[in-house]
This record gives sequence, structure tokens and C-alpha cells, in this order.
Amino acid sequence: MTPSSTTDGPARIPGQRAAVIWGTIATILVVASTIGVFLIAPEDADQGIIQRIFYFHVAIAIASLVAFAVACVAGILYLRTRSERWDDVGEASIRIGLLFSVLVVITGSIWAKASWGTWWVWSDPRLVTYLIVVLVYAAYFVLRSSAEDDRKMRYSAIYAIAGFASVPLSFYSVRVAESFVHPVVFTSSGANMPGTMLWWFVMSQVAMIALFIALLEVDLLGRRSERALRRLAMRLESA
Amino acid sequence: MRGRQMMALVRKDLRLELRTRETIVAMVLFAIVMLAILQFGFGTRDDDLTRFVGGLMWVTLAFTAVLGVGRSYVAEREQRVLDGLLVSPVPRTVMLGAKAIAIFLYMTAVEVVVIPLVGIFFVKGPYWDAIGWIAIAAVLANTCIALSGTLFSGLALFTRARDLIFPVLFLPALVPVVIAGAGATHAVAGGPHDMSEWRGYCLFLLAYAILFSLVCVATYDAVFDD
Repeated sequence: MTPSSTTDGPARIPGQRAAVIWGTIATILVVASTIGVFLIAPEDADQGIIQRIFYFHVAIAIASLVAFAVACVAGILYLRTRSERWDDVGEASIRIGLLFSVLVVITGSIWAKASWGTWWVWSDPRLVTYLIVVLVYAAYFVLRSSAEDDRKMRYSAIYAIAGFASVPLSFYSVRVAESFVHPVVFTSSGANMPGTMLWWFVMSQVAMIALFIALLEVDLLGRRSERALRRLAMRLESA
Repeated sequence: MRGRQMMALVRKDLRLELRTRETIVAMVLFAIVMLAILQFGFGTRDDDLTRFVGGLMWVTLAFTAVLGVGRSYVAEREQRVLDGLLVSPVPRTVMLGAKAIAIFLYMTAVEVVVIPLVGIFFVKGPYWDAIGWIAIAAVLANTCIALSGTLFSGLALFTRARDLIFPVLFLPALVPVVIAGAGATHAVAGGPHDMSEWRGYCLFLLAYAILFSLVCVATYDAVFDD
């Protein structure tokens, strides 16, 4: 049903139901994982309470990469179809991914202060990598704001693809000859943590990905509503 | 056919540069000024800056690349050469290849001057035997700079405030190249040679070049899809 429909009851914008469903799922999961992480998961014997930030720090980091991957796929689909829908998905994903990346840097910095006594450690490849990722994706919005019309969408799609290609390169470049000071939890031999902790980590991860999907749906709903309003205003003007 | 088209476009860029001598001369002078400024920026009169040589050289080259790559589309933009190219039966990938080769040659010309100068200015001790290894890393890094530079300068070409937009797009993508270039240089010039470290960085630069060449080929058609 479109906003211009004349049937009884309030008009629905497409995607409204999905936004409500995902918003509810994300809220339940985030609340449940927060309770689990702070009240149920065992405390780390070495690091104490600061280790609990790990459940969110790593989960947000992985969710941000998922967001950038979605933006890259949306960029490819935009270049193939030239549909505005994929441009919306790409921009919203990068907006959320960038927000998550900034949170990764902030939570990582808090962890560094508690664990290593300093807010920033240049020899830590993961923190530095995320700083580069933030810089790469912040430039996306600079490019977007200085191009117009069709070019804005086209250039954004190309940059989303190139930006995602530079993420693994950034990750690898700072690791080629670095000594790792960052705690490594997931190794090739499996997760380096007890079962209860792993369970709550998986829960946090699922919650953060659900939060990304919910934010994406809400963002897309906002865009659709804006377009529907614009169309309605044009109809009223021409009537 | 495509090879001939590409070489014709490279010759066009080089001929323009040889006639005006604007870009390469400015790039070389800029690089020398940058090296001097970086020395003053350290705030030290230490005679031995060998351990910083990788960073000094690649920061200089990264900023020089911004200057040179940013100017590489000037003729296309101001003399409306691009309009002619876009209506001619030249595939976009040939335009991409030609521009990347031209940028690669500009960077190589700058490095022929800069790499020995870095040795004279900043290195104490055995350095000259490392020049060959640094040159190999520089060739790989130039390929990365040329490919990403061509793509991002194409994107910035028709934006508002393009001179400002281009470095904002290009420099973050160049960070891995600077890290690897500086690492490879440091591995052979910053003390005892560490060839396994040098190899690691060179392989990384090769991977960057391959990945970005795929991205460029896949997306360059859309850059000028007007």
C-alpha cells in the first residue's frame, strides 16, 4: 500500500513492518546480551571487569565489517541495475559501519588505557587498522557531498567497492612485520576462551548484527518516507 | 589494437609533459622541499636519521604523488581532451591503463632523484648497496600509486572542490602502500638487511597492485559513464 492510497486507516510506507520487527529483535538481543555479559558471564581472571568490553568491542568490529561488505555488494548491484534502492542501502550501510568503526576505536582505546596504561598504542595493529578504516570511509561522505545527481550515486558505489578492497589491505599491511601486543582470542586452533564466555560473545555478536539490520531498516524507512512525502507534496501542488 | 591505443595515449601525456615540463619538475622540487621540511620537523640535528629513512622517503613520495596525480587530468579537464576521448572508440580500460602508465612514469622520474638524495641526506653507513632492493619495492609501490591514483583522480575530476577531494580520497587508500614501502625500505636501509621482511612487504605491495587493478578494471567504465 502506498502513502497516496485512499483506503481507510493510516498509509503504510514499504518496509515499515520490517523496521518494527528488526527493531524489536535487536532491542531484545542487545538487552539480553548486556545482562548476560555483565551479570552472567564469568569475570576474566587476568583482566578483571575491563575484559567485559571485549564482548561489545569485537562484536561491533565484526558488525562494522559486515556493514561495509553490504555496502560493497550494494555498490556492485547499483552499478549493474542503476536502481536508487541500492544507493540507499550502500549509503545507509556505510553510515552505520562508520559509526560502529568509531565505536570500535573508542572501546579499543578504553581497553588499551585499562590494560596497557595508555589510550593509544601505535604498535597495536588492530587499533591502527581501524583508524585507517575510519579515515577511508569518512572520505566516502566527503565524495558524496561534492558530487551531484547520478554522479553522486555512481561515484559512491565505486568508492564503496574500492573502500572495501582497501579494508583487508589495511588489515594486512599493519601486520606484515608487527609484533602483536593485542590479545588474540580467535586463533586458527579455535576460540581462546571458556564455553560460557564464548556463548555470551556469540550472543553479543548476533545482537550487534541484528542492531545493524535494524538501523539499516530504520534508515531506509526514513528515506522512503521522505520520498513519499515529497511525492505527496508534488501531487498536492499540482492538484 | 588496444596496445597501440594505449601507447598513443601514453605518448600524448608524455609529450604534453615534455613540452610544458610542469608536472615532473614541480614534483621533484616539491619532494626535495618536503625532505628538508621533514628534517626540520623532527626538531633534531642528529646526523644519523637512518632508522627513520623509510618513513621520511615514503611520506615524501606519498605527498608528491598527491601533487602529481592530481595534475594528471589537467589537460583532459581544461583543454576538453576528455570529451574527445570519451566519444572516440577507445575502451575505458585502455584510458585507465594509459593514465596509470603515465603516472607510473612520473613517479619513477621523481624517485630517480629522490632515492639517492634520501641516501645522502639521511643515511649514515652502508646504504648504496640497498638502492637496488629499494628500487624494486618502489616499482611495486608505483604500480599501486598509479592504479589507485588513476581511479580516485577520475572520481574527483567532476566533483566540487576536486583539488581538496582528491587527497581526502587518495591518501587513506595510500596508507597501506606507505606502510609497506617504508617497511621494505627500512628492512634494507635502516640497519642490517632483513630480506624476509623486505620480501613480505614486497609481496604485500604486489597483492595491493593485483587487487586494485581488478577493482579499477571492474569499475572504471562507470567512472566516465556520462
